[in-house]
Amino acid sequence: MPFINDILKYGSLSIVGLEKNTGKTECLKYVLGRLPVDSRRIAVTSIGIDGETVDQVTRTQKPEITLPEGMYFATSEAHYKLRRVVSELIDVSDERTSLGRVVTARALTTGKVLLSGPSSAAGLVRWMSQMKQMGIDLTIVDGALSRLSSASPAVSQSMILATGAAFSINVNTLVQKTAFVVQLIDLPLAADDTRRCFDNLDKGIWWLDDEGALHELSAGTSLSQDIHFEGMEHCRALFVTGALVDGFVEKLRSRKGLKDVELVVRDFTRIFVTPQTLKMFLRGGGRLTVLQKSKLIAVTVNPTSPSGYVLDSDTLCHKLSEAIELPVYDLLKAS
Amino acid sequence: MQLKNVIDSPCALRFMLDKLELQSGLARRCLLDMEMLTDAESIAACYDVLRHFARFVADTDHVHISTLLFKLQTLKDIGTTIRNLEHHATLDDIELFEVKHLAILAVDVKKLLRQHGLDQAVEVPDLDEVITILDPDGLKMASFYIYDSYCQQLKDLRTKMRQHPELSDQLLLEAGEIELEVRTDLSKQLHHFAPTIKRALLALARIDIELAKALQIKQMGLCFPVISQDGVSSFEGLFHPQVKEALETVGRTFQPVDISFGLKPTLITGANMGGKTVVLKTLTLCQYLFQFGFGIPAASATIDVKSHIFFCIGDEQSVEKGLSSFAAEMKNIDAVIKASRNERNLLALIDEPARTTNPTEGTALVTALLKVLAQADMSLILTTHYDIEPGDARCLRVKGFDNGVMNYALVEVLDGEAPHEALNIAQLLNIDPQWITLARDIVNTAAK
Repeated sequence: MPFINDILKYGSLSIVGLEKNTGKTECLKYVLGRLPVDSRRIAVTSIGIDGETVDQVTRTQKPEITLPEGMYFATSEAHYKLRRVVSELIDVSDERTSLGRVVTARALTTGKVLLSGPSSAAGLVRWMSQMKQMGIDLTIVDGALSRLSSASPAVSQSMILATGAAFSINVNTLVQKTAFVVQLIDLPLAADDTRRCFDNLDKGIWWLDDEGALHELSAGTSLSQDIHFEGMEHCRALFVTGALVDGFVEKLRSRKGLKDVELVVRDFTRIFVTPQTLKMFLRGGGRLTVLQKSKLIAVTVNPTSPSGYVLDSDTLCHKLSEAIELPVYDLLKAS
Repeated sequence: MQLKNVIDSPCALRFMLDKLELQSGLARRCLLDMEMLTDAESIAACYDVLRHFARFVADTDHVHISTLLFKLQTLKDIGTTIRNLEHHATLDDIELFEVKHLAILAVDVKKLLRQHGLDQAVEVPDLDEVITILDPDGLKMASFYIYDSYCQQLKDLRTKMRQHPELSDQLLLEAGEIELEVRTDLSKQLHHFAPTIKRALLALARIDIELAKALQIKQMGLCFPVISQDGVSSFEGLFHPQVKEALETVGRTFQPVDISFGLKPTLITGANMGGKTVVLKTLTLCQYLFQFGFGIPAASATIDVKSHIFFCIGDEQSVEKGLSSFAAEMKNIDAVIKASRNERNLLALIDEPARTTNPTEGTALVTALLKVLAQADMSLILTTHYDIEPGDARCLRVKGFDNGVMNYALVEVLDGEAPHEALNIAQLLNIDPQWITLARDIVNTAAK
């Protein structure tokens, strides 16, 4: 069975869809149906309101998730009341979502629920560590990149990426775009001492000098037009706490003495630069690293777009796998 | 007057609350809703409880304190659920879970309190019967669902559900109806316990509050006050925690002061930067802390209970209300005078009244204010830079510059004449010499 054993090596997994209808839910179902619930304690949740019975944006059907008996799950109060499973409540948290508080329960029969868990990054981290305290071996987060959710899936140790025709109906474009995201997910971690210096900063742009002293750049964000890199000759690493955008990388690249700087972001979800800009920056000797990183276990594809267009599954899997050097699965076909 | 109404008083009451390590949101809400205590008996009772916790914090190993704190972290405000129970509503699974969780927490905390001899301090009502209702299998776990053992029929349906998953939708509907019956029955049984559950909830919040106050006493070096019997309040080693902390971060120390005052007006004069405003702020803070049952920032304190506390600090501009600083100040002091005619035993602390107007009228306003308020049944403390005829008022003066170092101590003097040290201080601050020398010439000429 593809990649199930790989998942069990880690304490947490997020399943990330590159676009709606890229088969994220199918992937989650596939994983949940195959994990050994009787020997491992497993908890699942979703970031934000992601459990509408009918997708609010595209009006396509959004199925409930089937949980095997014994699995733990976190969802909002409103969705808990709609559950179609016998389940035992184990926690009602202070974490609030637009659908009420987040509750955690254990399925006592096989049944269906709508998942809508913590909607903030801090809330998700709290939930994950609470689950760990309760003796849960593996937490699974159903995450979305295209949604405006502040909860980053990068807090999990491992990740599965779902892509497909919904992301692009041109095979080559789809492969290129997906390969770029894979490249970002796979960015190296910053060195331990650099991570320690930057980890507690959550606002602004900061840099470390050769002697390990921390300085703040007057520009608040990388979006600012007013960015100056004066006096940074001894800059060892530059940390952008928020979004990293093209303009900032361009400016950095054109600045003498900073071309080969180590640029650090919290995780890959903060990077909003085009493949071209990143390529030029790396070619010029620059490095891009992250504070948080998930191990990408596999990529799944859904060759069907919501408009009905279908790509050839085998060609897609083959081309993508070649480009990213990772196994690629069409789960509908596999099952 | 609730704590939340005065929390933003310029005396920095909020600073003290922010430093309070409350474990639950419920405790914070209860504390903010607390009414100010205005009788000696309630204040004494409040400090009696706090003393138990202070002793516990002082004598107990940190591990035990943390255990209790950790338990209190799980305290949730289930007020809505309790109200539903009171109104005969049928609780849903989540609400029943909340009741069970609270009941187990109450029993656990009660056990811990007993271990440390604190059960006399705050009484947590017994909720064992509530647990029995919500834990039919005696599992003693803080989880909940409509257990099979509530109803044989439910048990059979669920067994069938496991055997025939394809029928589960139909079976779930049937089970849902039975679950509703069970929940209705459980809610009926629990209805009688609603008042007890509510008392338990408030008791747990109280424990959270008192424990946090006790920890604050230890951390900030606060003291337990004596309740004054003769209308005189006196403080030794008084300090303002926020100013003290700010000074310590820049490597300086706070000089504590001693002060006492009774029902006669007290006039404080002193050089600029002599800490007069800080003294008023601290006294206001102490009075509030006392009447809400907190530790007092002093080495020792005897405090008189007051019915109302007024703190008028001159620099509050009410631009939004369209009032100038002078108008805002006049209105505030006017409120004090009005209250002094109707109420007994007030405390008013007024910082440099009429400071923003010309010295002739300013002096007249302050002298008259002192006379008007001297008639009232109140403690009045007033600071000023004007030369005031003190009348019956007691005069205190900041010692001021002593060999180039500011001495913030207060000494009793016979008249209210304000010290003339502004020019010396300005000189020490390295203010433009041309300006200061010229000012000195003008003063000298006028003196001749």
